[in-house]
Amino acid sequence: MARVAVEVVYRGIFQKNLAQRITRTIVFAAKKEGKVGTAFGRYGDSPERNGIPAKQFAVVADDELELEEHLAQYEPKDVDVTIAVDDTLCKGVESWAWYGLQPINKPTKAGGTLLVTSQQGRTDLIQDIHARSEPYSLGVVRGSVSFSGLWVYKEDHTDVRVLGALAKVCPELVSIESMEAAIRDQWDDNLKIASTRKSYERTETRVVEPGQGNPETPYSFVLPGWTEMEEALVVQGHGQGTGFRGAEPVGEFDPHHNQLGGAGYEPDRNQLFKKFSTRSMRPMVNFDTCIKCTLCWLHCPDSCFDVTPDGLYDANLEACCGCGVCDDVCPVPDCVVMVNEAEFNDNAGQWEFWQRDKEGYNQWMTGLVDQAKAEKRSHGFHHVGGYAEDIAEMEEVASDD
Amino acid sequence: MTTSPATQQQEREELISGSEAIAIACSMADVDTITAYPIRPYDTVMQYVSRLIANGDFDCEFIVAESEHSQFEIVKHASSVGARTFVGSSGVGWFYAFEAITVTAGLRLPVVAMVGNRALDDPGAFGTEHNDALAVRDLGWLLNWVATPQEAYDTCMMAWRIAEDSRVFLPCAISCDGAFLTHSQSLVKVPPQKMVDEFLPMYNRGNLVLHPDNPITVAPQVNEDWLMEMRKQTDEGMKRAKGVVEETHEEFRRIFGRGTESPWFEEYMTDDAEICFIGLGTMSLPLRVAVRRARDRGIKMGFIRLKWFRPFATEEVREALSRFQAVAVIDRDYSYGSPGNAGVLFNEVRSALYPLEKRPMLFPFICGLGGREIHQGDVVEMIDMVQQGLASGKMDQQTEWIGVRR
Amino acid sequence: MTTMVELPQVKGVKNIPIQELFTSGHRTCQGCESALSMRLMIKAAGPRSIVVGSTGCMYVANTTYYSTPWVVPWMHTQLGSSGSAATGTAAGLRALMRKGKIKDEPINVIAFCGDGGGVDMGLSALSAALTTDYNMMILLYDNESYANTDIQVSGSSPWGANSTFSPPGKSKHIMNRRWKKNTAPMLATGHPDCRYVATSCGSYGLDMTNKIRRALTIGGPTFIHSIDPCPKGWDYDPKYSHELGMLSIETGLWVLYEIIDGELILNGPSRAIAKGMKKRRPVREYLERQGRFAHFTEEDHKYFQEKVDRSWEEWYLPGVLPVHPQLDD
Repeated sequence: MARVAVEVVYRGIFQKNLAQRITRTIVFAAKKEGKVGTAFGRYGDSPERNGIPAKQFAVVADDELELEEHLAQYEPKDVDVTIAVDDTLCKGVESWAWYGLQPINKPTKAGGTLLVTSQQGRTDLIQDIHARSEPYSLGVVRGSVSFSGLWVYKEDHTDVRVLGALAKVCPELVSIESMEAAIRDQWDDNLKIASTRKSYERTETRVVEPGQGNPETPYSFVLPGWTEMEEALVVQGHGQGTGFRGAEPVGEFDPHHNQLGGAGYEPDRNQLFKKFSTRSMRPMVNFDTCIKCTLCWLHCPDSCFDVTPDGLYDANLEACCGCGVCDDVCPVPDCVVMVNEAEFNDNAGQWEFWQRDKEGYNQWMTGLVDQAKAEKRSHGFHHVGGYAEDIAEMEEVASDD
Repeated sequence: MTTSPATQQQEREELISGSEAIAIACSMADVDTITAYPIRPYDTVMQYVSRLIANGDFDCEFIVAESEHSQFEIVKHASSVGARTFVGSSGVGWFYAFEAITVTAGLRLPVVAMVGNRALDDPGAFGTEHNDALAVRDLGWLLNWVATPQEAYDTCMMAWRIAEDSRVFLPCAISCDGAFLTHSQSLVKVPPQKMVDEFLPMYNRGNLVLHPDNPITVAPQVNEDWLMEMRKQTDEGMKRAKGVVEETHEEFRRIFGRGTESPWFEEYMTDDAEICFIGLGTMSLPLRVAVRRARDRGIKMGFIRLKWFRPFATEEVREALSRFQAVAVIDRDYSYGSPGNAGVLFNEVRSALYPLEKRPMLFPFICGLGGREIHQGDVVEMIDMVQQGLASGKMDQQTEWIGVRR
Repeated sequence: MTTMVELPQVKGVKNIPIQELFTSGHRTCQGCESALSMRLMIKAAGPRSIVVGSTGCMYVANTTYYSTPWVVPWMHTQLGSSGSAATGTAAGLRALMRKGKIKDEPINVIAFCGDGGGVDMGLSALSAALTTDYNMMILLYDNESYANTDIQVSGSSPWGANSTFSPPGKSKHIMNRRWKKNTAPMLATGHPDCRYVATSCGSYGLDMTNKIRRALTIGGPTFIHSIDPCPKGWDYDPKYSHELGMLSIETGLWVLYEIIDGELILNGPSRAIAKGMKKRRPVREYLERQGRFAHFTEEDHKYFQEKVDRSWEEWYLPGVLPVHPQLDD
């Protein structure tokens, strides 16, 4: 080997410790084999927001000189392995620090590997991952996504299961023995060693052929030069918004009243930063049971609900970052429910579908809602002792199949 | 103040200090927002401003802030909505405001500030020293030094016009030596209001103004993808400022009929000079006398007072100084550990002269710190050193502290 | 600006203005309650407003160059400068309007700061602003830490809270031993001519909307202190932002009130608690929902509860003013 670079793509602050454990252990394991390495987070992503995609890296080389060669470029642009610790990241990542959607496999070398923690099968994942011209391998670490927490760390073994799988898909990085040794040094926990080995044995990869996967071209952005930028650090503010889907608003907007008219309302949306890649769950709205109480709309920190001409609230899925507050404030049972983002391949509005085919929509919605209830995806800390319960579930997942 | 300057229709002469001259300039320039906070010696200007307002001679929002930081933040924001502003400070007060001072330039806001030059604490000292004002030299502030109350008035008028020029949009600091200028009175020609109105247009921020009719977002946070382009824009603004200074200086001479030939410096008996001294601000007074006495002794000496430090008139300074065998730089400041352990002005002059084929010999002097007077004896001592140095032909001359006790 | 923008009190949540003047595409965390405060604030104020925001999450995460969430004019100000920024903006407008240099019309001047900018560094400028006679409002969005810079403890962080500057360790498990500053009452009692000081919480959207409007129409400088649950720094599932806001009030830890011309009016659950119509929920219910308190021992919980009890049972103005008359008076 010359040099091996691994990137961990994670969802901000609640997965920061997880990503750090993974990248640091890689370097410790490499050391066992007399190699040198470094682990670091991308400065541009810090301070991490929760949910918003961020990256950490581990770069390992045979000697200091070789390592230096590869660190001259601060952020590795071609990595041997990309690790996504949330499968919904496969839809692409938009860091809070830049513009444009980056395909999850963009930095992955031709012939490199993408390793994803997921309950989905590879076939489903490939539908989300952007197609590219060079082949790469896809591996899955079975398990629910772990938002393993900030102040309290959820010891659900996601870290070591990823590391075990890594030793399998990238043997030129480190052997499973070195990986286990490094894990023992840090945590001295036989159960973790067992999880590492189990994951190592279970992990398989499949080659994704050129052109295979999500055909869409992700939105991109070209940085303007100083002659094109406005002077004095000025950018233009947004417009006042329109009726639903760009319709003419009825009358002037009156800041004194909730003036809807018959046109509905849609705010002017930020076309440069969309934020949907932050989402790992999305709200499903039951328009039939909605009582128009306004609470989901009122309490959304991202102003993401468009108001339909009939006074319903339709989550704009280009803008929604999936925090789940709408689900929490809705007073009607199962009227707004957060469901697994992985089940979708687009950001189409729900209200239009419901208008077109109420029965079809409701059937689809009910299916997704039931599934979500079974899955119990979580975004983090719920209450003291809560992680223990999650971990029990995780271990079950790990033990079956 | 007996008569209201705003209502004066004839030019008149007033016996006033530099601070008072600047206060009158503020009222005649119809400044919209002024903030004050006490610190000697600059605060005298605000004492005159408040009196003008109290007597109804000046209509302006006058705010006594609770700190220099707030003082500079307040005018910064007033300037962003299109208000003409004036502010000032001295010594460590200027440093207390430094965060606000640096962002004002970054935001391209044409705030005009008076710096009543004062030594930096510790120890607390009131006397003049130039390190306070010089600290903005890298930040995008226009920076100049004046020598007389008349020049203080005139330079103020030019400062607003230059800073508020849309090709520039940069803040401007007018440095006035503590005591020597802020507290000494001399006769000042105060022009009629109509002349000022002809010279000084209204501040128009155009499409950069913050107003509900122009809903812009100003100064969002950036990362490494953007900052260099922004710095470059400010750099271009500073470069354009040079031309605007020349243009404005000419226009001022046309309308008011006074002012030095060059906008950049004042030359005194330099035509046939072999030795030339150069310095900033009020030291010109003792130096002019010294030049005359030296010439009585048959020494061909001249003096150049540099008026603008930013933008620095590189070509003009180079051309002017290349005529002499020896150039002695008197710094009323220090730059500990700098090349040659010299002052700030010396190192700037030296780097400006570097590309010359035939460079004059350079003599770095540090003199008059903390408001200590520059005596004729000090200058004689410097002249002797320059002559010895010339004889030795040694290019690399040591920095000499003049008038310091051993 | 002799007159002020007409902003009548909103009757009923369904009459909150529909128009978004703080739109999507900011880069705050999932479930960011401070972003909600921004949104509700400007919804209430309307389009004839100028907003200046000091450094903090609502600057860095919110307004990232080349795009912006703001529909109204917005400008950054330094961390300790929300008071000065509001003052400068209002002073500039007043002078220009009085002199006829711009149209004389009502414009809302709003400045906001986080707890770092308001409770710590900006306190003196904030105080100075409240002694002026300009019509302007300063909103303090309090997420109880320097959340943007990596979650460091501030003067507004709760006792014992975990932060990157106050980590529970082997020898000291409580690093932050300071009790949260009582900011709104400090500013109300310290500035007798300030006509309006209030506390708010995004979980009570209508209450907040009407407080913003009162602050913008009563005249002179006004101050609102909003408690903003922060999923990132407090460490909880973002969907609970709204619930935790309510819990902070139902446990009596945060008190909802407004002080209008010196008259204290408690609002919502706080009013019910004060009148004995509603029992305070145990603080533990609030603390145990957040990772930042997960290291609390039984003694810590007891200490915390007792402090809150005392603020309701012993303070002269329960939950508001930590003084009481001399016993023999």
